[in-house]
Amino acid sequence: MHGRSASASISLKNIEKVYPGPAGDLHAIAPLSVELAAGQAVSIVGPSGCGKSTLMRLIAGLDPPTRGEIRIGQELVTRPVSDIGIVFQRDLLLEWRNVLGNVLLPAEIKGLPDLEPRARELLREFDVDAFASSYPWQLSGGMRQRVAIARALLTRPALLFLDEPFSALDALTRDQMNVLLQHVQTSEAVTTLLITHSITEAIFCADRVLVMSGRPGAIMDDIRVPFERPRRLALRETSEFTAIGRRIREHFEKAGVLVG
Amino acid sequence: MTTAATEQMAEAAPPANAKTPVPRSGSLFAGVLWPLLSGAIGLALWEGLVRLFKVPLFILPPPSQVVITIVDQWWYLLSQLAITTFAAGLGLIMAVVFGLAAGAAITASRLVDRMLTPWLVIAHAVPKVVIAPLFLVWFGFGLQSEMFFVVAFTFFPVIVNTVTGLKSADPEQILMVRAMGATPGQVLRKIQFPSALPSICAGIKLAVTLAPVGAVIGEFVASNKGLGHLLIRAVGDMDTSLAFAAVTVFSIFGVLLWRLAEWGERRVLPWHPSQREAFLLRGGGN
Repeated sequence: MHGRSASASISLKNIEKVYPGPAGDLHAIAPLSVELAAGQAVSIVGPSGCGKSTLMRLIAGLDPPTRGEIRIGQELVTRPVSDIGIVFQRDLLLEWRNVLGNVLLPAEIKGLPDLEPRARELLREFDVDAFASSYPWQLSGGMRQRVAIARALLTRPALLFLDEPFSALDALTRDQMNVLLQHVQTSEAVTTLLITHSITEAIFCADRVLVMSGRPGAIMDDIRVPFERPRRLALRETSEFTAIGRRIREHFEKAGVLVG
Repeated sequence: MTTAATEQMAEAAPPANAKTPVPRSGSLFAGVLWPLLSGAIGLALWEGLVRLFKVPLFILPPPSQVVITIVDQWWYLLSQLAITTFAAGLGLIMAVVFGLAAGAAITASRLVDRMLTPWLVIAHAVPKVVIAPLFLVWFGFGLQSEMFFVVAFTFFPVIVNTVTGLKSADPEQILMVRAMGATPGQVLRKIQFPSALPSICAGIKLAVTLAPVGAVIGEFVASNKGLGHLLIRAVGDMDTSLAFAAVTVFSIFGVLLWRLAEWGERRVLPWHPSQREAFLLRGGGN
């Protein structure tokens, strides 16, 4: 019915990223290897400046790794990957376009015709269809971010990257967005990579949580999240859920990130 | 559904539905009435003093005489204004095209920026009236000289505002469309140019009001037609009433032009923050 896209696997082999600078090199990512299965929902959680966003830019092909090899499916990443939808912390909606025009932007850039029915369907799914012809400034923060997610999903990408997408939202809206993301992950069959500072969000939205250390970024732990979907917010109060949260927090305490 | 939408709208943008008193009509009345009153007082004083002290017509005609001249010679004045407007319009189009292209080139290339910008600043700093005779030598007597004179007057605000606007594009938005696979041309068309549009409009608005000034000064030295030439001739003939009539027509024209530019700007930028107040007061939304 939905014309599902084929999601893609991601493979990182000995990835390293060093930014040369006048005051010495900045070692952003230590040698790091990980395999993400197609269709998996993965969260990356880690302290500020641990190279989470850098890692995402490398996988998206926006920045080359200093060493190592990145593959999406079978294909080696050497330039910006087009089969990817990215949601940033700021919604980055274009103020001069209405909501529908914003959602259709990726289709225009890729030269794909007639995705308007798909765009309207996504807006309906995300409950912002009444605002299709409104300008972004007429929307609340949560609505704006929903439009940004619709834009990222428009072309049915194989990968959906979310770089701290909800950190500018209030707590209640953030909960709503977590539920929405759940829904997307089941309905869209897309490999999702969610970068977040929130341990709860990382667990709730993922099948697998990667815990990253401070600079240079490396993976300290790789945790499977066993809960069935669809998940309800009440899941967060169960003892299994909090146990995973404790396990992640202990890593940060050991690393000296959370001391108090 | 409409009700739900309205409720959501209220949540999204409270001012849209808040029934605040609309100050528009009152302020519009005041905005017209007070200047009219002060203007009338000024004109009455002028008329009275000129008559009281029997000032000769060729030194300072009373306002009534200027009005009579405008009415008597309206066709002559308007036809000369049309000539000036034509030259100003052509020059303005050239300046906008050149300004946009130069602005884009300066933004796109640091080398172009370094090589071109200092010269543009110098070219702008040269007093225009000083180079007017040179234009006469280069482009001859008539429309061509006048047009280039208009260009000299108007290119700078267009370039400066184009560059400022293009540089103000959000780097994260550019990164986003690059991640979507946008070509440099698409980045320019989809992100940089729309981001720059408010600035570009501001530059063009300035240029629009400068263009007729450039045309008139051009006509002072390099034409036997147009409002500028009419002005020079009227002063030469000691027909001060006609000179005042020309100045009056020219000023009214300038105000209308400014209004036109503002109207155009609103049409081009319906999304801009400067338009939001009007939008909210209309109770806008759907």
